[in-house]
Amino acid sequence: MNKNDIVISVKNLVVAFGSFHAVDGVSFDVHRGEIFGFLGANGAGKTTTIRTICGILNPSAGTVTVDGADVSRSTAVLKPRIGYMSQKFTLYPDLTVRENMYFAGSLYGMSPQQIDERSRKLMDFIGLPQRIPDPVSHLSGGVKQMVALASSLLHDPELVFLDEPTAGTSPQTRVAFWALIRRLAEMGKTVFVTTHYMDEAEYCGRIALMERGKIVALGTPAELKQQFFPVKPLEISFSAPVQNQMREALKQAGISSAVFGNSLRVRAANRAALERVCAPFAGQFAVHETEPTLEDVFLQAVSRRENK
Amino acid sequence: MNFSWRRARSVAYKEYKHILRDPFTLAVTLILPLVFVGMFGFVIDLDYKHMRVYVRDNDQTSVSRRFLQEMSSSGYFDLKPVHSPSEADQALDKNNSPALLIIKRGFGRNIRAGNPENPGQIQLLADGTDNVQASIMGTYLQGVVQKANAVFAKDNPELSGGAEEAALSAGGQIRSRFLFNPELNSRWFIVPALSTIIIGFLAIVLTALTVAKEWENGSMELLLSTPVRPAEIVLGKLVPYFLLTFFDVLVVFVLALYVFRIPFLGSFLFYMAACWVYITGALALGLVISVVTRQQQAAIQFAFAVGLLPSFIFSGFIFPIENMPAFFQYFTALFPQRWFLHISRTVFLSDAAPLTLATAFGAILLFATAMILLAVHKFKTDVEP
Amino acid sequence: MPALRAQVHGVSKKMGRAQALKQVDDGFGAGQVHGIIGPNGAGKTTLIRVLAGLLHPDEGRVEYDEAEKLISAADVKRVTGYFPQEPSLYPDLTCREHLEFFRDLYDLPQAPFEHRAEELLHATGMAPFADRPAGKLSGGMYKKLGLMCVLLNRPKLLLLDEPTVGVDPVSRQELWDLVYSFAGEEMTVIVSTSYMDEAGRCSQVHVLSDGKMLSSGMPNDVMRHFGVTDFAEIFLKNE
Repeated sequence: MNKNDIVISVKNLVVAFGSFHAVDGVSFDVHRGEIFGFLGANGAGKTTTIRTICGILNPSAGTVTVDGADVSRSTAVLKPRIGYMSQKFTLYPDLTVRENMYFAGSLYGMSPQQIDERSRKLMDFIGLPQRIPDPVSHLSGGVKQMVALASSLLHDPELVFLDEPTAGTSPQTRVAFWALIRRLAEMGKTVFVTTHYMDEAEYCGRIALMERGKIVALGTPAELKQQFFPVKPLEISFSAPVQNQMREALKQAGISSAVFGNSLRVRAANRAALERVCAPFAGQFAVHETEPTLEDVFLQAVSRRENK
Repeated sequence: MNFSWRRARSVAYKEYKHILRDPFTLAVTLILPLVFVGMFGFVIDLDYKHMRVYVRDNDQTSVSRRFLQEMSSSGYFDLKPVHSPSEADQALDKNNSPALLIIKRGFGRNIRAGNPENPGQIQLLADGTDNVQASIMGTYLQGVVQKANAVFAKDNPELSGGAEEAALSAGGQIRSRFLFNPELNSRWFIVPALSTIIIGFLAIVLTALTVAKEWENGSMELLLSTPVRPAEIVLGKLVPYFLLTFFDVLVVFVLALYVFRIPFLGSFLFYMAACWVYITGALALGLVISVVTRQQQAAIQFAFAVGLLPSFIFSGFIFPIENMPAFFQYFTALFPQRWFLHISRTVFLSDAAPLTLATAFGAILLFATAMILLAVHKFKTDVEP
Repeated sequence: MPALRAQVHGVSKKMGRAQALKQVDDGFGAGQVHGIIGPNGAGKTTLIRVLAGLLHPDEGRVEYDEAEKLISAADVKRVTGYFPQEPSLYPDLTCREHLEFFRDLYDLPQAPFEHRAEELLHATGMAPFADRPAGKLSGGMYKKLGLMCVLLNRPKLLLLDEPTVGVDPVSRQELWDLVYSFAGEEMTVIVSTSYMDEAGRCSQVHVLSDGKMLSSGMPNDVMRHFGVTDFAEIFLKNE
C-alpha cells in the first residue's frame, strides 16, 4: 500500500441543514486499499459525511475530492466507481436474491450475462449458496446483510461505502462480515465503513472518531490508544464491600470512576492523588492496569474537547 | 385498581396539547367543515333550473295555457313551443338531453269535467341517457301538476274533491318535501345534512389515528407499563376530540342559519343532545378501529370505509333511503349516519315533537354505547400481537 | 421499602412463528444490577416484556417478591418501571410535560413529585433542557428523559430494554452511572444489552441465546464457566 496514494480527500467539510451543522468542519484523507472506520453515535454526522463523499449531498462549505476530482462536479463519472450499502434501504424484501441482483445490476447498465457471472463470484466470495429461491424477507438478518453487500459490489466498484453494515446483527455475523471487509481491502478496494460499535473499530486500518459534527480523534487504533493513554487505565477490585465508599471518596478528590459490576474503572488519574484517596482502604482492594479500549479513547477525546 | 379521573384527565390534557401542536390536524379540523359547506352549499347546486322543454300543446285551451304558465313560473323549465310533429322531431334531434311535453287533446275538457276516472293527460318524453335530469324533471313536473290541481280546484270550487284525491295519490316522499321545503330548495335539504357527513367522517378519522399513532411511535408500550386503565385512555382520548368536533358542528349550524338562511323549526336542545350522542358514537367507532388496527395507515383506510362512504351513500344524503331496495333500507339502519341525518333534517325543517324521533335517537344512543364498550373491551393492556 | 426480587420459572413464549423463549428458569436477586446479554433475536425484549407484565408466558410463570412477601400480578405494574428499546416518548411534549403526565398516571401527590422531579433533573443533568420537546433531544438525553419518567414512581424493579443502543459513549457512561446511583436497597435493575462489552458493567449477567438462558452469575464467574475472556466469545463459540 502506497501511503501517498490518496483516494478521498475531504477538506474543511461543512454540511448544514438550516442552522444545524450536521458536519462541522471535517478534514481527512483516505488511502487506496485502506479500511477507514468512521465511528460515532447516531446523529454524530457519519451518514451525512458518507452521503457527501458519494455525491448525493452537496457540501455547504469545503471540498471533497476523489482522485483529485471535485465530487460535486463529477458525480456522473464517480458513481460507477462507488458501491454504497446504505444503513436503511438495502434490498427489496419481496424480491428474491437473484431478482434483487438483476435490478441492482441493471441500474449500472450490466447485461444479464455479466450480472450472472458477477453474482456467482460474489456469492462464492461471501460463502452463500448460488441459488436462494426465497424472497429476501425470509432470510435471516445476517444473510440479508451479506446479500446487500454483494449487491453493492456487483458492478465491481473501487470504493466501497458501508454505512453501519453490522447494526443489529449477531456477533457471529459481525465477525464474518469483518472478515469479508478485510478481504475486500486485500483485493485493493478502499473500504469506508461506519459503525457505532467501538469494539469493531479495532479491525480498521485507521479510524476517525466523530462527535457532534466534528472529528475528535484520527489515527490507527494503536496510535490513538498511545496518544490518549500514555498511562494505562486502572481497574480496582474489592475484597470487602467498600466499593461505593471508595467511589465517593474518589469523586471528592475529583477523580471520576465507572462501576463495572463489582469493580471500579479509573480511566485517567494522577497516580499520587489516587494512592492518597485509596490509602484508608488498604487491604480491602487491589489495583490492576488494563488495556485501554477505543471506548476509553472516545471518552477521553470528548472530555479533552470539552475542557478546551 | 379503580377508575381514576386524574389519569383520564391527564390523558385528555396530553391529547389536547398534541392537537394544539399539530397545526396540520388542527387546520384540517377547522377548515374541512368550511370546505364541505362551501362545496355543497354554494358550488354543487343539485337544483336543476331552467331545463329546456319543448312543448306541443294539442289542446290549446285556456286550461292548458294556464297549466303551461304554472309550469314556466316554477323556474325549473324553459318552455319552447313547437307547432308540428316534424318541428318537434327536429328540435329533439338537435339538442342535448332534449325533452318534449305533449298536452293531449281534451286536457282542458277533462279537467273541467273533474272526473278522477278520466283526468287531463300530459305526456313527457325525456332523454333517458341523462336519467338524473329525466327523473328530476318527472319529480318537478309532478310538483307542477299538484300545484296546478290546487289552482284549478280554487278556480272551480266544485272540483275540490278531485284535486284532493290527486294530492293524496302523490307519493308520500314528494308530499313531505312539498310540505317542509315548498321551494324544493336543495340547499335546505343539504346543509342540515352536512353535520352528519362532517362528524361521520372527521370524528372517525381523528380518533382512528390517535391510538394507532401511540402504537406506532412506541408510546403505547410505555403507557401500558404504567397503572393506566383502558377506560381512562378511552375517555381521555374522547373528550378533546369531542370538543373539537362539536365546535365544527356549531360552525355548520351558524352558517346554516345565518348564511344559508335555513329555518330551524325543531327543538334546539334535542338537536344538541343528538349531536353529542352522535359525535360520541363516531369518535368511539374511530377508537375501536384504532385499537384493533394499531397502524395509522390501516386505520385511515378503515375510517374511510366505515366513515366517509356510508356517510354519503347509506345515510340518505345522496340516495334517498325510500328509493333503495328493501335489503338496503334495512342495511342502512346499521349506520348511525342514517339516523342522525334523519334527526338533523327533521329538526331543521319541521317542528315535529322530539318524541317522533325517539327511534332514531335510540339508535344513535345504542350505537354510541356499544362503541364505547367495544373500545374499552378491545383495548389491550399488554403488547401481545 | 426493599427492592423487588423476580423469579422466572420455566417460561416459554412464542412470538409469531419463532419460539422466543424456551423454558427459561432464572432468578433476579433484589437490589442488584442485572444484565441480560445476548445477540439480537436472542429473546431479550420478550423476556423483559414478560417481566414487565406486558406479555404473558405460554408456559411457566414469573413471581415477584418483596422481602419474601409475594406481590400479586395485578399490583406488579404499580411497583415496576419499564422503558422500552424503541422510542416511546411524545416528540411534541417537553421534558417537564412528560414528567407531569407520568405524575398523573402514577397518581403522585404534587409536593413529593416536585421534590423527586428536581432530584432527577439534577442527577441526569437535564435541568437546562426541561422545556425542550422530546423530539429535539439527542439520543442520550432522550433515554435520560425516559429513565426519569419511569423513576418518578420510585419503582422497586426497573426494567430497561437496550437503553444504550445508538447512544454515544459519553451518554452511555452517564446512563450507567445513573443506573448505579439509583440501584441498591430500594431498587433492582434489569438491563438488556447487545453490546458484549457492557456485560462487565453489571453485577450479575444473564446470558440469553436463541431463547435459552445459558448461564447467569457474576461476570467473571460466567466467563470462567464458558472458559472465555470476553463475552463476545461465548456467542462465537456457541456457533
